[in-house]
Amino acid sequence: MMLRENIRMAFSSMTGNRLRTFLSLLGIMIGVASVVTILNLGKSASESISSSFNAGGLDTVSIMPRGSARETMIFTEEFAYTLMAEIEGIKEVLPVVSSYANIRNGQEIAESVSVQGVTSGFFASNSLSPSSGELFGAAENINRRQVVVLGSELAEELFPSGNAVGRYISIFRNQAKSFLVVGVLEERDASMGNSYNDSAFMPYNTYTQRFRRTDQVGTYVAKIYEDFDATSVAEEIESYLNEIAGSDYYRIFSPATIKEMADSVTSTFSSFLAAIAAISLVVGGIGIMNIMLVSVVERTGEIGIRKALGADPRAIRSQFLVESVTLSLSGGLIGLITGTLLSVAAVHVTGWSLHISMAAIIVSMLFSGAIGIFFGWYPAAKAARLAPMEALARE
Amino acid sequence: MSAIIELEGVSRTYVVGDAVVHALDDVSLGIEERSFTAIMGPSGSGKSTLMSLIGCLDVPTSGTIRIDGEETGGMNEEELAFLRNRKIGFVFQHFSLLPKLNALDNAALPLLYAGVPVRERRERAEEMLCRVGLKDRLRHRPSELSGGQKQRVAIARALVNNPAILLADEPTGALDSSTGHEVMELFHALHEEGHTIVFVTHDRSLALECGRIIPIKDGRIGYDAS
Repeated sequence: MMLRENIRMAFSSMTGNRLRTFLSLLGIMIGVASVVTILNLGKSASESISSSFNAGGLDTVSIMPRGSARETMIFTEEFAYTLMAEIEGIKEVLPVVSSYANIRNGQEIAESVSVQGVTSGFFASNSLSPSSGELFGAAENINRRQVVVLGSELAEELFPSGNAVGRYISIFRNQAKSFLVVGVLEERDASMGNSYNDSAFMPYNTYTQRFRRTDQVGTYVAKIYEDFDATSVAEEIESYLNEIAGSDYYRIFSPATIKEMADSVTSTFSSFLAAIAAISLVVGGIGIMNIMLVSVVERTGEIGIRKALGADPRAIRSQFLVESVTLSLSGGLIGLITGTLLSVAAVHVTGWSLHISMAAIIVSMLFSGAIGIFFGWYPAAKAARLAPMEALARE
Repeated sequence: MSAIIELEGVSRTYVVGDAVVHALDDVSLGIEERSFTAIMGPSGSGKSTLMSLIGCLDVPTSGTIRIDGEETGGMNEEELAFLRNRKIGFVFQHFSLLPKLNALDNAALPLLYAGVPVRERRERAEEMLCRVGLKDRLRHRPSELSGGQKQRVAIARALVNNPAILLADEPTGALDSSTGHEVMELFHALHEEGHTIVFVTHDRSLALECGRIIPIKDGRIGYDAS
């Protein structure tokens, strides 16, 4: 009952001197607007990083042996089974072999193309699907068929007029070999070093037979079970490999680990900026305190009248506290709207998709309210303490 | 008739810098229920101090004050506020209305602090404003009212919580003589209805209109011309 009356009085005194109210709220408005903008942008940036990881990548860990030293001799096809036996959480390990070769279709030549020998599971685990034709399966691998699936850019380079599927291309490595194009992959957002778009894929066994007579595997793509944390499985693989091979003889690529690092950098960075912006909230609070102190002095007579009519110190204190909280929340609300509009504008410029941080909204409103209470307390207590006679005398 | 206001050996001293000012010095008096009493004295005589003690705006340095049987001496701020709210209706020289509130909300203020629900506040304030002849000025703000009308709003406000004592401090001091006369008429009418009225003034001719005059000078009360 009293609260409603107090809020009404607060608005009436706020609108009494609009310019002064606006100026005293500026600090808190700028503070909330910057905190909200920074947290929204931080969230949008981190969401855009995660969406740039390919959908099938976050549950994979790739292991790439390095060099040709004796230590790398262990990286054979059998090692895939060893890895699965040793490390918990691995669903399957897909071996990948690759090298660079020139590819020709009539007059069109693509140079230094990454040619990869993969098993049929490779496409599914990387969520790769054909835009035309089809992908090869286990039968093509077993039979060592000379078929190839082209990345979208590579297909365009070799077949500028389209219709790659069903045609033959020549792949040069020592000598030219002819391959039937069975499919072209859908274009994929080129991120995190994945270069599906300009690679050619053939069955693993075809590759090892035609190109490279060796047991050694180029890359192992380990697929992690959904209910396991890819980052910690990657760590386990790392320590296992350090034990059996040494850290110099392999590289490990774990999108989940990179995403985690990127997330932590983004969130550290945005928390840091938000903390700096929060300083302006405190400055804004001082602005509120200042205007409330002025208000108490100006309205000493009013306080005297109210006291004479029976307002006890508590009633006066809550009137001024409600007023300062109303002030700071109004400032916070305007800041919130401004910050959200700024985020929309900034996201428009950077090209991210907008993600509004609910935490920013809740925290900034709670913080504004808390500032109103904290910085309004002293002026309100001062008003409540005024002796009725002296207050009346100053009317 | 019993005394609704009783003062026994009341002194009030203020410390101003190094000096001790005896604003009231050993004052004893009783004011009867349903009486119309003037406290008369020049400025600086201590009449304002006396008014603030009777009005529970202040407590005495020594001596006892009983308002409607309740002793104010040992009371804290909350208890004094409660007593002011229930027992005292103030009318000030300069009206002391809140400029942002209309007549109705101004008159309803004491009820707000008495915890009366909003609907009842409005009803009682409206009734009281009609009583003082402001039926068609309910939604006007003080700046839209004449001096006499403002003082009527203030009187309505003083009466709205049905107080035991109406305490008026130079209520005609800021009004021209004919308006002042109308306001005095209103006080007389209220007295006849049975209100206890204490009237603080420096004006002898106004004091003479009251049933009893308590002269005050230099913090002491002189002969009581009752």
